[in-house]
Amino acid sequence: MQSHGVEILLVEDNANDAELTLRALKQRNLANQVFVCHDGAEALDFFSSGASPVPKVVLLDLKLPKVDGLEVLRRLKGDARTKAIPIVVLTSSREEPDIERAYELGANSYIVKPVDFEAFARAVSDVGLYWLLLNHPPQ
Amino acid sequence: MMRSIQRTFPLFVTALLLAVAIVQLTVGYGEVRRASRSVADTRLRFVDSVLVDLFRSGPQRARITALAKDSAVVAFLRSGGQRGRAQALDALRRNTLDTASNVRLELRDFSGRLLLSTGRFALGDSVLVSPGTDSARFGPLQRRDTVLFFGIAAATGGTEQAAGNGTELSGGIVQQVARLQLNDRTRRQLTGLSGGDMAFLFGNAAGDPWTDFGSILSAPPANVRNSPRPTRYERGETKRAIAMAVPGTPWMVVTELPSRLIVAPAQGYLLNMAPLAALIVIFGALAAWWGSRRLTAPLVGVTRGAEAIASGDLTHRVPAGRDDELGRLARSFNTMADQVSRSHHHLETQVAQRTKALEGTNAELESFSYSVSHDLRAPLRAIHGFSRILLEDHNAKLDPEAQRLLGVIDQNTRRMGQLIDDLLAFSRLGRTDLSTGPVDMKELAQTVADEIQRTDNGRQGSLEIRIDPLPPARGDRGLLRQVMANLLQNAAKFTRDRPSARIEVGSRADSGQTVYFVKDNGAGFDARYADKLFGVFQRLHSTEQFDGTGVGLAIVKRIVQRHGGRVWAEGAVNQGATFFFTLPGEER
Repeated sequence: MQSHGVEILLVEDNANDAELTLRALKQRNLANQVFVCHDGAEALDFFSSGASPVPKVVLLDLKLPKVDGLEVLRRLKGDARTKAIPIVVLTSSREEPDIERAYELGANSYIVKPVDFEAFARAVSDVGLYWLLLNHPPQ
Repeated sequence: MMRSIQRTFPLFVTALLLAVAIVQLTVGYGEVRRASRSVADTRLRFVDSVLVDLFRSGPQRARITALAKDSAVVAFLRSGGQRGRAQALDALRRNTLDTASNVRLELRDFSGRLLLSTGRFALGDSVLVSPGTDSARFGPLQRRDTVLFFGIAAATGGTEQAAGNGTELSGGIVQQVARLQLNDRTRRQLTGLSGGDMAFLFGNAAGDPWTDFGSILSAPPANVRNSPRPTRYERGETKRAIAMAVPGTPWMVVTELPSRLIVAPAQGYLLNMAPLAALIVIFGALAAWWGSRRLTAPLVGVTRGAEAIASGDLTHRVPAGRDDELGRLARSFNTMADQVSRSHHHLETQVAQRTKALEGTNAELESFSYSVSHDLRAPLRAIHGFSRILLEDHNAKLDPEAQRLLGVIDQNTRRMGQLIDDLLAFSRLGRTDLSTGPVDMKELAQTVADEIQRTDNGRQGSLEIRIDPLPPARGDRGLLRQVMANLLQNAAKFTRDRPSARIEVGSRADSGQTVYFVKDNGAGFDARYADKLFGVFQRLHSTEQFDGTGVGLAIVKRIVQRHGGRVWAEGAVNQGATFFFTLPGEER
């Protein structure tokens, strides 16, 4: 299955944002094992399929078709099998209620996507480096 | 305590009844006493007249008069007691009625010498009554030790004149001396005849001695004896007395009653009537109390109802069973309460609808700003991102003009991003709640000023920020900090090209309010457009001259207004600008 050896799960409906994110990761050589879901339902399917690979980090947008990001977050953190997976909310929203709700549901980090491309690229690559190289998830 | 009809009305009625009772008792008492006096006076006068009749004693006088004309007596006296002694004695004995030693009949000559006497009442010779000539005359009541007596005398034959001249004695005097029987039995009998309690006094009109037929007394006071009208005087106790002279004698009778007996009926009246009056007053007071309760209870009900409705209990109704004015009042009140309740319900429904509509609008606005936040940024990021990628990855294929154009795109996307952020911040201001508390404005201004001094880049000359002592304000510290920051940043921005920039933060008192101000010597503005300064995205300078989105002052205005204050600006082109704002004081 394609998902074999996935290190980063990117849940992002906007193709442009996905492309910019992948580019930023690629420049740091972190894009090899990225799997992209285009809506919330797809993301949930990824985890409910039998193989059930464990990514080192999930980059989760909030505003998603079908099932929104906060719902995805709630389900993953509510499930014993997936609740240990680090989830980084990566969104355009800097609205306080969104931030509060995300942390309540157990988000490990909340990043507002900068409009400025350089800043955005730096943010994404920093996140990738941190969670893939520095962070130690449970085995 | 509140004034209440329920209390004052019974009090008023009670006072009225009490006054009536007092007047009634006083007048009644006076009337009874007057009537009782009148009855007493009538009795006294009647008894007086009976006694006077008794003492005039017509038959006695007639007997002595007749004896003075008896031929044997006349003959004896004319002979100077020499002849006809036996016959004269016989005539005297026939006329001596009393055998109980209380009467004595005597014959004397004109010089008073006793010639002959009968009867055993002996007092010596000194008793002499000036005799009447045509008929017998009574003498005054006299006293000798414990004996009271009086004389009746008549002259016969001759004349006093003849006797005075020392001529032949041709006549003499017939005199009877009678003792007045004094004993308690007599007195009691007399008293009994008059109905008890009355006292009868008898004596000389001129003075002592007097008697009540039981004992010898001193004469009643002269004012009693001299007045034909009822008189009061003290003898043992207060008496009411009427005196009456006995005609044809020097005597007088006085009858008297103790005043207390005369007042007694009036006192009896009081004793009987006072409890009755008290009963009437008490009953009347109770009736008034009950009546006023009955009358005011519905009023109290309506008052309580009005209070209940005033305090928010719109379901309160009052009992309206009565079929009179009070019942109508209660029904009108209930109708009014119904209407108030209906309109209140209507208003509440309306308010609920409006609130719901407003909540809907708010929710829409929220989702709108959410969308702006989320959806406007994404394409902007794409534009910026891909134009940067074009520059980075395909730089070689782009001529300088293409690179310049991409630079313009880059600049504008950044600016657009800033606009979106500011707009969101501005709209968020209207929705967040104020958390008010005391704010040290001086310290706040100092903190902001220090930060500006630290980050103030690209300045030609020097920047001096002076902060005067500022009175504390009451408000949301975070928001007020933003006001101070926006105003100081503005001032710093518009003084950037000055060789020596000066910014002053100060305050002044103006009609009970504190006016804070931030003054600079910067670019200033055209005073004609002063009102446009605070509009969203309103700018009086080009972006090339001074950067910024035109939201900063709009935010200042909104924050100050949410605190209940006012904001305005003064300035002139190239002469600096001053921004003023007011805030409620610390103590409010």
